[in-house]
Amino acid sequence: MSFPILSFLTFFPLLGALLLIFVNKEKKNGLRAIALAVTLINFAVSLALYFNFNGQTPDPQFVEKGAWLGYGINYHLGIDGISLFLVILTTFLMPIALLSSWTSIQDRIKEYLMFMLLLETGIIGVFVSLNLFLFYVFWEAMLIPMYFLIGVWGGPRKIYATIKFVLFTMLGSLLMLVAIFFLYSLYYKATGVYSLELFDYYKVIMNPQVQTWLFLAFSLAFAIKVPMFPFHTWLPDAHVEAPTAGSVILAAVLLKMGTYGFLRFAIPLFPDALEKFLPVLNVLALIGIIYGGLMALIQKDIKSLVAYSSVSHMGLIMLAVFSLTIEGTQGAIYQMLNHGMSTGALFLIVGILYERSHTRLIKDYGGVARQMPVFTAFFLICMLSSVGLPGLNGFVGEILCFFGIFKASRLLSILSISTIILSAAYLLWMYQRVMHGPITNQKILSFKDINKREIGYLVPIIILMFWMGIYPQTFLRKMDASVSNLVNRIQQREKVFIRSQKVNQTLSQPVSSPQPSKTDKSGKDRVR
Amino acid sequence: MNNLFALAPLLTIVVGALLILILEAFLHTENKSYLGFLSLFFLIASGALCFNSWTAGYTYFNGNLFLDKFSLALTLILIVAVCLIVLTSLKYISLQAANHGEYYALLLLAVSGMMVMVSSNNLLVIFLGLEVLSVSSYALAGLRTADQRSSEAAVKYFLLGSFASAFFVFGLALLFAGARSVEIPAIIGFFRTEAGLDLMAILGLGLIVVSFGFKVAFVPFHMWTPDVYQGAPTPITAFFSVGTKAVGLAVLVRLLYSYWSEGFKSQPVFWLLWAIAALTMVVGNLMALRQTNLKRILAYSSIAHAGYLLVAILARDSASLVFYLVAYLFMNIGAFAAIMAMSKKGTEYLELEDYSGVGFKYPWIGATFAIFLLSLAGFPPTGGFLAKFFVFSSAVRQGLVPLVIIAVLASLVSVFYYLRIVVYMYMRTPSREIDIDLENPALYLVLFLCLYGVLQLGLFPGNVLIFIKQAIAALPVF
Repeated sequence: MSFPILSFLTFFPLLGALLLIFVNKEKKNGLRAIALAVTLINFAVSLALYFNFNGQTPDPQFVEKGAWLGYGINYHLGIDGISLFLVILTTFLMPIALLSSWTSIQDRIKEYLMFMLLLETGIIGVFVSLNLFLFYVFWEAMLIPMYFLIGVWGGPRKIYATIKFVLFTMLGSLLMLVAIFFLYSLYYKATGVYSLELFDYYKVIMNPQVQTWLFLAFSLAFAIKVPMFPFHTWLPDAHVEAPTAGSVILAAVLLKMGTYGFLRFAIPLFPDALEKFLPVLNVLALIGIIYGGLMALIQKDIKSLVAYSSVSHMGLIMLAVFSLTIEGTQGAIYQMLNHGMSTGALFLIVGILYERSHTRLIKDYGGVARQMPVFTAFFLICMLSSVGLPGLNGFVGEILCFFGIFKASRLLSILSISTIILSAAYLLWMYQRVMHGPITNQKILSFKDINKREIGYLVPIIILMFWMGIYPQTFLRKMDASVSNLVNRIQQREKVFIRSQKVNQTLSQPVSSPQPSKTDKSGKDRVR
Repeated sequence: MNNLFALAPLLTIVVGALLILILEAFLHTENKSYLGFLSLFFLIASGALCFNSWTAGYTYFNGNLFLDKFSLALTLILIVAVCLIVLTSLKYISLQAANHGEYYALLLLAVSGMMVMVSSNNLLVIFLGLEVLSVSSYALAGLRTADQRSSEAAVKYFLLGSFASAFFVFGLALLFAGARSVEIPAIIGFFRTEAGLDLMAILGLGLIVVSFGFKVAFVPFHMWTPDVYQGAPTPITAFFSVGTKAVGLAVLVRLLYSYWSEGFKSQPVFWLLWAIAALTMVVGNLMALRQTNLKRILAYSSIAHAGYLLVAILARDSASLVFYLVAYLFMNIGAFAAIMAMSKKGTEYLELEDYSGVGFKYPWIGATFAIFLLSLAGFPPTGGFLAKFFVFSSAVRQGLVPLVIIAVLASLVSVFYYLRIVVYMYMRTPSREIDIDLENPALYLVLFLCLYGVLQLGLFPGNVLIFIKQAIAALPVF
């Protein structure tokens, strides 16, 4: 058996966290160095994933499977072209997040680092699990470290923000849990075998009536996480109150768990229900784009501006996902990475400013460019990447998204293009007010330009921004097969239907429907 | 001769109780703390004897008492629980100025009553066990004689408990009038016949369920719970919440497991229990939101957990029920042990305010307490999550989807109040100085064992599952 690389990636940070318990809490730099080393090793190992990943096949790779609890609960890991880059994004941003909080977090540094490492375990676990039980365990377990990160090291309204974050997420995920139970019992009744394996569920097609409810439950969980309008209200609170590193991880990776959930679970498992709800979902995503953009325009706090820009950008990603085209899906995944980079970078930038002045209000700044020329360059690039300037990463992703959306619906694509105008407006305006103009606040005169550590963690992001903007093939070719497989599965599901007809027939038994009276009718519709 | 040996686990406990009572009179005050170790010895001996007869399947007294694997498994669970409780009490008793001898003797007597209850099919014998348990429980609740709350708890528990016992006897009389038997199999057989539709017999069964609903604290029979839990000595509160609950549910399993083996959804008692389960989960969790006293929060939380356990009974999944009980044992005793750790001579810190900043001041107690709370809230990867997973998934398989949706929404509410304690421990700055007595090794052992149990059950429960499966396979279906 080969080296269990995914297990290593998932549990190495956990081991690191356990190791930290035994280090004296007074040795702050030692603690930080250990945590940083753990995340860097994890990143290095995750690069091996990229180089050994075969982009020609949609099948999951680096698979590890073993029995765990029985009853279909297995330990089953694997990644495909969709999750590959999300894992790497996580391992890439983790050391950066740790570096960004090197000096700003001084209290209870040991616990802080432990929770950051646990968070990494949880996030990677979500992206690599192929068993629904395992997925759910990581999905929920990940909440705990984030809860503490916001609640202990957050701003003045941290308790409100963190409880809201947990309760919102739990509401969705508990209903998803019921849906998982339902799938579980459905599969058991149809086949007589307990299974929670995602790929077993892929093979069956459920009666549309049942799909509706299950899809709603799964979508709610993911829509809250993304977050889609109108479930986004937890996000600005959580972002504003979280410490910088928490915001970075939250925006860059945690939100992607929602879109990933749609791509991995809600859409391929319940295509018929998706079809039914597509108009509603499209409209919600569109509202998210425009509403998020408009809200960002009027924010006084830089951090909540970036938070609302996330709502807007994630709306575009969702719209691209729902276009159900190859370009759109690829664009969505690419844009997920871009959003991770550029929004993550913007939060880092806000963090750098905040460390110097301890305020996040736009009106307290002005003329910072004169004091911090190097920083200005970094800020400009990150901001333009988020706006989607050609040559930087955001452009490639957005253009692919728009291609996909255009294929699906012209009206939607025209309306969604407003995101470019809006994001240019709120970001450039904010940039102008913060960096240029006269210096009104005397504090700014004492600002020091960014130091080597800060340059050190911003440079890798900047390099990747250019790379992803100029030569996207590096990334796109690894995800081609998986994406087209996913889209084909939905677009041509009649074929899939024939292939798995036998299982399907058993699954359409009346027992599988919550409303048996309607089963017959809908069953006929399905067979056509 | 077989018979006497089969009785050994029960006899050991009774002998232990009596011996402790006698020794109490002769021991010097400073030596009385040894009585705790003595009771521990008898408990462990009884547990070992249970293991010994695991495969034997003894019955005695004309089948009125029998030790099948189900009763042995429950006895073992109870013994583990009581062992942990005795360990937490070793120091607590002297700190909170209660009397050693009475305490341990009554505890052991209560255990003997429980053992009788779980190992009989005869409702009259079950009643005997119930009374032994109840009378000792009333006395245990009032043991902190210096505190008025404790006496109040004892009186309340006694009055309402007597009502519940009366209900039981009256229900049994009604059942006997119909079924002409007090044996559970005969009663179930009676309900299968035409005559079983008789309203009087169903009323009798309902009354018996109500009296157990009282012991287990189902809503609307829960009124006594918060006051008694608050007033009783803390280890005893843990005992009530784990032990009494487990026994009450075990009897309900025996009574109902075969009752709705087929066509269960047409039974009126089923829907009655369905409503009770939903009410228990919702009311228990909502009421807990408003509490500021830790013991009261955990009292309401234990009401809510009774609701989840009832879901397992409704789903006819005894294996999940027992697994839930085991997980609940560790996390709840652990939580109470953490509360007991927060005390010093003559004082217990029980208000939420007292817990501000505790997480960082006493990192080990804080962290374990937080893990127990997360487990109670049902977060993975703890035993609490897996227990809920098993119970709810089998309920969905039985088609109880609306009940499960109510259950998960109720547990969403519970997340709020469990996390509120964590918020106080980790996210608030201390408002008042507290200092606790840190020298309590037995309590730390309990914390460690419970932590181990919670994590083991959450991650690798393999052996426990096998053990439970064997026990459930022994449940007679007739």
